[in-house]
Amino acid sequence: MPRSLARLSAAVLVALAAALAPAAPAAAHNQLTSASPAKGAALRAAPTAIVLRFLEELDPAFTTVVLTDGAGQKVPTGEAAVAGTKGTVPIRQPLANGSYKVAYRVVSVDGHLVQGAYPFTVADPAAPAPPTPTPATATGTPVGPEPTPAAAAGSGGPPPWLLAAAAVAVLAAAAGGWLLVRRAARRRA
Amino acid sequence: MSRRRLLTGGAVAAGGALAGGAAVAAAGRDGAPALTPVSTGSAVEPFHGARQAGVTTEPQAHAAFVALTLRPGVGRTELGRMLRLLTDDAARLTQGQPALADTEPELGQIPARLTVTFGFGPGLYRAAGVEDRRPGSLADLPPFKIDRLQPRWSGGDVLLQVCADDPVTVTHAQRVLIKDSRPFGTVRWVQQGFRRAAGAEPGRTQRNLFGQLDGTANPAAGAAADTVVWLPEGPPWLRDSTTLVVRRISMNLETWDLLGRPDREAAVGRRLDSGAPLTGTAEHDPPDFTATNDDGLTVMPDFSHVTRAHVTEDRLKILRRPYNYDGAPTAEGHADSGLIFASYQADIARQFLPLQRRLAERDLLNEWTTPIGSAVFAVPPGCDPGGWVGQDLLG
Repeated sequence: MPRSLARLSAAVLVALAAALAPAAPAAAHNQLTSASPAKGAALRAAPTAIVLRFLEELDPAFTTVVLTDGAGQKVPTGEAAVAGTKGTVPIRQPLANGSYKVAYRVVSVDGHLVQGAYPFTVADPAAPAPPTPTPATATGTPVGPEPTPAAAAGSGGPPPWLLAAAAVAVLAAAAGGWLLVRRAARRRA
Repeated sequence: MSRRRLLTGGAVAAGGALAGGAAVAAAGRDGAPALTPVSTGSAVEPFHGARQAGVTTEPQAHAAFVALTLRPGVGRTELGRMLRLLTDDAARLTQGQPALADTEPELGQIPARLTVTFGFGPGLYRAAGVEDRRPGSLADLPPFKIDRLQPRWSGGDVLLQVCADDPVTVTHAQRVLIKDSRPFGTVRWVQQGFRRAAGAEPGRTQRNLFGQLDGTANPAAGAAADTVVWLPEGPPWLRDSTTLVVRRISMNLETWDLLGRPDREAAVGRRLDSGAPLTGTAEHDPPDFTATNDDGLTVMPDFSHVTRAHVTEDRLKILRRPYNYDGAPTAEGHADSGLIFASYQADIARQFLPLQRRLAERDLLNEWTTPIGSAVFAVPPGCDPGGWVGQDLLG
């Protein structure tokens, strides 16, 4: 009886560990690791290029980077120049002060599509400011059903609510396990 | 105890799933006869006419593509003899009559919409000494970076495309025509393919073995298809002719299996179930390549198959008439599956090549597909009763 209880607690722990571990398939998928301008950056000088670095090598044929302004209008950029894991997109015109969004769509080596977006703002004190309303949340939507690191600028891992829920579950399981073991011990005694 | 209950529960669940599957299969069987025309076996496609059959003909369920290499010394005269023989037997078999000296005459009595379509490779024009009459765009395709071509699936001087709604009919016609050809040519390759059974999905675009609807962008039957396919004018050996590109496309089902449904749909640019473009709701909705999501990314990825293959003008389109193939899997159970891609167009250089270049450059679907064979043929005009296919070219 105690042996089966121990086995049960072990199974609970394994299940919890599986729930908490970063999803394994994500390791096989591409992911944005760093960006310039950075996610949420407030720049005092307008950038002339967007530089995105990824976990895996990029294929220039399957790399799309789009820059939009605060009104959602596309800002003219050059084609993405790809070197290894780095993609560089020249911005063709000087950016006025305001908010912008960088969106990317790339492909993992296994063909899985990864796309996301993040905002930044330009506030050059020397420039006239045409302020525009901003939809300023970062999104990172994996196209596939497999869990993919969600945040735009490389902040992977499970979201806070999942961590909290998992912590509660661990505590509950530990308490339950302790009670069971104690009861078993008492019965043996 | 709990484990035993778990196991029993699992078995019950699995049993339920199996029963469900059986019910679906039974429903499919019950539904089929209502859809299948009673006359599948006796249906006949005309053989004679200005244009050859088997091109704009509603695709039959089964096909064999047979490529021949002409024997050394076979020239214009011998080709004439061969094509008289082949034309005569094809005319009989397609009408449900046994071939001349048919060794299995009973097998020739079910035409099942049999068509035999003749194609001439670049080598035939050389052998016959009529290179000046070769259609301008008829030449081996340039190499594409995605190609992994194998000689065993490539080239050919003569093509026999044999299609019917009955596989025994196809086999019998293939056998008869190859026997007729033996004095003149050797068999270079044979590719056998299939679609859904006749009447299983009337009027529906066929599905390839990736589960995608394949051929949605085909021109509508009638005037549009005629513009795409047939040469409207020219000397008698060109008027009412077309060209055929046959490419054997290996499809990697093992890596495709690893892909989630949204990824599969992004790669092709269409929903798998309805075939609707990612910007639409029905199969034939025109895709909107300017539609963007909230982040400014186009809904149709720049590198989806549909985005790269899209053409609007009829004179730039092709008529896809593909068949699936499914060879024996490896010992490990890995599939040998793919598509016998067959496309008809009036001019290979104007219609097929630009499209193929765009796909070779930047089509995400290339990650799972590999061209392993390639051949091009002119499809000469048809013939009247008493005539033979190729008569205007070689007669």
